[in-house]
Amino acid sequence: MRQEGGQKQMKIQLTVNGELHELEVPANKRLVDLLREDLHLMGTKDGCREGECGVCTVLFNGKAVNSCLMLAVEADQCEILTIEGLAQDGVLHPIQQAFIDKGATQCGFCTPGMILATKALLNENLRPSDEEIKYGLAGNLCRCTGYASIHRAVKKVAYGGSEEVQD
Amino acid sequence: MTKHTYLNKSIPHIDAVQKVMGRQEFISDIRIPGLLWGKVIRSPYAHAKIKEVDISKALKVPGVKGIVTAADIKHVVCGPFIPDWEILAREKVRFVGQEVVAVAAIDSETAEEAAALVKIDYEELPAVFDPEEAILETAPLLYEDKGNNIAYVFQTEQGDVDATFAKSAYIREEEFTTSSAFHGYLEPNGCIAKYDFNNDSYTLRVATQSPYKARLLYSQALGVDLNKLRLIQAPMGGGFGGKFESNLHLVAACLSKKVQAPVRIINTLEEEFVTATLRVPMKIRTKIGITKDGLIMAKETHVVADNGGRTNAGPAAMAAACYRQDNLYRIPNVRSKGYLVYTNNVPKGAMRGFGNPQGLFAVETLLDMLAEDIGMDPGELRVRNAYKNGEVTVHGWSIGSCGLPECIIKAKAKSNWLEKKKTKRPGGNKRKGIGLACCNHVSGNRSMLKDFDGSSAIAKVGPDGKVILFTGEVDIGQGYKTVAVQCAAEALGLPTDYFEIAPVDSQSSVLGIGSLASRGTVMGGNAVMNAAYNLKEQLLAAAGDLFGVNPDSLNIWKGVFVNTASGKRMGDFREVILDITNTKSGQPFVGTGYFKPNTVLPDQKTNYGNISPTYPFGAHVAEVEVDLETGKVEVVNYVAANDVGKAINPLLCKGQLEGGVTQGMGWALLEQIILRDGEILNRNFLDYKIPTFADMVDVHPIIVEEEDPNGPFGAKSLGEPAFNPVATAICNAIYDAVGVRITKLPVLPEELLAAMRAKGGAQ
Repeated sequence: MRQEGGQKQMKIQLTVNGELHELEVPANKRLVDLLREDLHLMGTKDGCREGECGVCTVLFNGKAVNSCLMLAVEADQCEILTIEGLAQDGVLHPIQQAFIDKGATQCGFCTPGMILATKALLNENLRPSDEEIKYGLAGNLCRCTGYASIHRAVKKVAYGGSEEVQD
Repeated sequence: MTKHTYLNKSIPHIDAVQKVMGRQEFISDIRIPGLLWGKVIRSPYAHAKIKEVDISKALKVPGVKGIVTAADIKHVVCGPFIPDWEILAREKVRFVGQEVVAVAAIDSETAEEAAALVKIDYEELPAVFDPEEAILETAPLLYEDKGNNIAYVFQTEQGDVDATFAKSAYIREEEFTTSSAFHGYLEPNGCIAKYDFNNDSYTLRVATQSPYKARLLYSQALGVDLNKLRLIQAPMGGGFGGKFESNLHLVAACLSKKVQAPVRIINTLEEEFVTATLRVPMKIRTKIGITKDGLIMAKETHVVADNGGRTNAGPAAMAAACYRQDNLYRIPNVRSKGYLVYTNNVPKGAMRGFGNPQGLFAVETLLDMLAEDIGMDPGELRVRNAYKNGEVTVHGWSIGSCGLPECIIKAKAKSNWLEKKKTKRPGGNKRKGIGLACCNHVSGNRSMLKDFDGSSAIAKVGPDGKVILFTGEVDIGQGYKTVAVQCAAEALGLPTDYFEIAPVDSQSSVLGIGSLASRGTVMGGNAVMNAAYNLKEQLLAAAGDLFGVNPDSLNIWKGVFVNTASGKRMGDFREVILDITNTKSGQPFVGTGYFKPNTVLPDQKTNYGNISPTYPFGAHVAEVEVDLETGKVEVVNYVAANDVGKAINPLLCKGQLEGGVTQGMGWALLEQIILRDGEILNRNFLDYKIPTFADMVDVHPIIVEEEDPNGPFGAKSLGEPAFNPVATAICNAIYDAVGVRITKLPVLPEELLAAMRAKGGAQ
């Protein structure tokens, strides 16, 4: 049954991709729905809806979060970065370019979340080890790539150069 | 090997930029004016009569626009393989999760609220969940008019297995149990359906692996002509066999008609487990007889497979488990019989490998056992029985190219096979082992597509010099669009960025059959290549007129028209196109092409016939480490050698191998469907464990190119052969490590531990 409290409208102010928004949202609205339905930012995906797959990952005050598990009202006075906010003036972010170059995106559904999770990882740890990459991104599932190409993309950003996989 | 300009090139996916920018518009991202949100009400029972459906309370919820039940739908019995589908359950339900009612409302919350108020009165019926029980005459009957629960029987025989077994030097026979599995794509299935009242027509936006097959079924199910059913394909967030014909799309269509408005229905992950047509679980008893020199003389297979409560690709997948491996090696005497049985479990169907991984689990394990029996290296045993180019198999499959021996030799070398086999196992509580398994597959499946298998394409270029490729085949994330562009680029002599792939829309598309049986590159690639050649012919003729030169001495090379006789550069492609189209009032040049493979519909009785234009092969070597205290298995090294004919794009090939091996590891070690009375208890990614980044397998891909005369530029297929042998290679490695022969998937740590203890510790 529709809960009274859940439908209560609340005014919030949040910065998304550098732009300030003032919105009125129901208290029970999920952050992922605010981004997709209110702000029409479809890059953030809605997948398992339970915080397991990571396709809804956004940066919340710099930290990677599952936006399907957060309420929009929690984002009041906060800064959100979605995939749409990465490229600047038409220039791809190095993580985006590395994903392209290393074939780290196949169907593309996990990609926005995976890229943002990568950004959060590298923000905290500029030079992650192989294991730190694996565990740092373990919250983002991918069924297509087997993760190896994503791993190579992350290493490319962190270490540059052309450390090609030796066959 | 021929040198190519745009092939063997690791270019990124042509839509990679959109994907990394989050601009790929999936079904769930589409918004159109007036779109309503739909919710399906599903049966909580595995087998029950529907006594009454009461939607009165639900209709009263503010914001509900309409509700559709079976009473609103003209009853048509149809199905993609066996006619046992009904869009909404009419008299009874046959599996937990079957669709009964659907609600349309202004938003998802309202739809869910209304769905909770729909009252359905069920009378539970006795249910059956084990196919070996369901096959008995005493079992509860799912479809009364069918008389029993046997959905499909497959059998085939060549030679004389009985006489040959009697003469075989060594025989091995075992029963294997392969598990069901969930495709695990991250994008749930969905549909945006729009019914047009004015001409009784539908527009469905879907992401399906076969728009062609889906449209055929849907037009039949909805009772409209094909030309009243428009299917617009959206990018797909993973398929792996779970997104073919989908009843969800039909429910959305009917709901849209009921409420006279566009409707969107997107599955939750929980619903996806029910509707994705999970991998067909099978009990497989296989017997193989060999000579003392290791030549395979006879193979017999018996399969009992769980179809679930409604049929999708189960019949063909079971057939593949029965006899596809007969064509992997030279085996002169074969016999197989399989029963696909209805149960009150969720529907089963296609999943990457399509019955071949199941059948291979049996064959490749038995060959491992036989190699040990005769004291021969397992790889050597396979090489002895491998085909040479041009041979025909016992079922009439024409093996144009077979790179299996090369795959085996290279996989063994790369994995240090000989050394690892010889090394004594150290003490401690971990044991390492190494194992090998081979595979074959198809690049298309004529036995499943009665009318024909093939593809067509159009290559169009207008005054702007952009070449638009119309292909009916679909990219499901594997990179088909990119491969198609590379084939066209090679044929036309133009850089790949000159090309665009037109959207797949039944209103404007050409015919293609879809991403199944790993047929995209061969069927679609060949058709696109032919269309590009046809276009090139026309362009050279027109350019010849323009330059006053014989077209035979013209060519297009890297975006430039050249005179091959003089070596002179005649003009930039875009400039020349502008000139030659201007002379015809801007009329575009349209090249058409198709690929008609040399395949036949197999003989109805004997099943004999060549069903695919090319056949890929592979040999994988897995190295595992088994924890003696916990029974946990870890894959510590993996070499995947696959014969792809020609690697159009090595980056994409590696992507398939790395992805396929990881999925195979998941099937072998991590993934288990937990059932209770037909209900799947672990319908989420927490409890159904697909591999995470932390489980990443260190895959060493080896691309073997045994060019095939029927493939585009020699290419074959890779999507499924990348997966096929993985689980078995891992299991053969487990045996090498701890001496426990695995005959059941998945390999649960507690069961392996018990087996090791029963054996009395490590070797």
